[in-house]
Amino acid sequence: MPDDEIQVTEPLTSTTSEGQDIRPGELLVPEDTYLTAGVHIGTQQKSASMRHFVFKIRYDGLYVLDIKETDRRIRLAAQFLARFPPDKILAVSQRQYGQKPVRIFAKTIGAVSFSERFVPGSLTNPNLAEYIEPKVLMVTDPATDMQGLSEAVSVGIPVVGLCDVNNETRNVDLVIPCNNKGRVSLATIYWLLGREVLRARSGSEAEPAYPLTIEDFQAAL
Amino acid sequence: MIARADLRCTSCGRGLAGRGATAFLCPSCGVETIGRDARCRDQSVPYKCKNCGFVGP
Ligand SMILES: [Zn+2]
Ligand SMILES: [Zn+2]
Repeated sequence: MPDDEIQVTEPLTSTTSEGQDIRPGELLVPEDTYLTAGVHIGTQQKSASMRHFVFKIRYDGLYVLDIKETDRRIRLAAQFLARFPPDKILAVSQRQYGQKPVRIFAKTIGAVSFSERFVPGSLTNPNLAEYIEPKVLMVTDPATDMQGLSEAVSVGIPVVGLCDVNNETRNVDLVIPCNNKGRVSLATIYWLLGREVLRARSGSEAEPAYPLTIEDFQAAL
Repeated sequence: MIARADLRCTSCGRGLAGRGATAFLCPSCGVETIGRDARCRDQSVPYKCKNCGFVGP
């Protein structure tokens, strides 16, 4: 039987660990912060390239992500982004619920953001007013942020991508497996990424000054 | 982070000259330079850091 046919029965609104064996203090935030935001809730379709990030399939057919791996990847992505000059990081989101999180995230870490429309040529056409030369691109969804992704490929810069279970990971150089569709999930991920980039830059294990809350990153309903 | 002709793709060993390739420091250890040519990027071929063993993307 393929691993995607495992049947698991549990309530839809479960805020338990959903069977993921996580010890207290192992994650960047309490496990409940991820679970109530639905960061681990994937889609009903699964791409071949995302299959190894899947923890299990829920009784209702939704793939559930391995929250420990999501957490680990947020740390890695933050360390990775922290190695670039702040203003050479470009974060984008065509996805509506990602636009505010991306804006606040970019402002928090001193990066540039294109929320809403990505003007074609922004990375490739020096004659455009929007033209910039970032050294790394952060996409909220490789599918909806296809234009930015394709231009990053053209100019040879690495790409960090939030990837849901149904995403293709082509041309993404570092995957953060997560729910990249939910309003609270996107706010939680960018809130955490912002905090961890600042922490990585400070080079200290100590909690950096970070007065922002997940709510500050949430798009309006 | 410009792909350079003297770097090689970590996954397949091909040179990184040409459009679509990239190079970056390993997201995990920050020591090893990871190269990815256009083909391996496009097909999402895994890369493994020689220094720390991190497997991406
Ligand atoms: Zn290759
Ligand atoms: Zn490494």
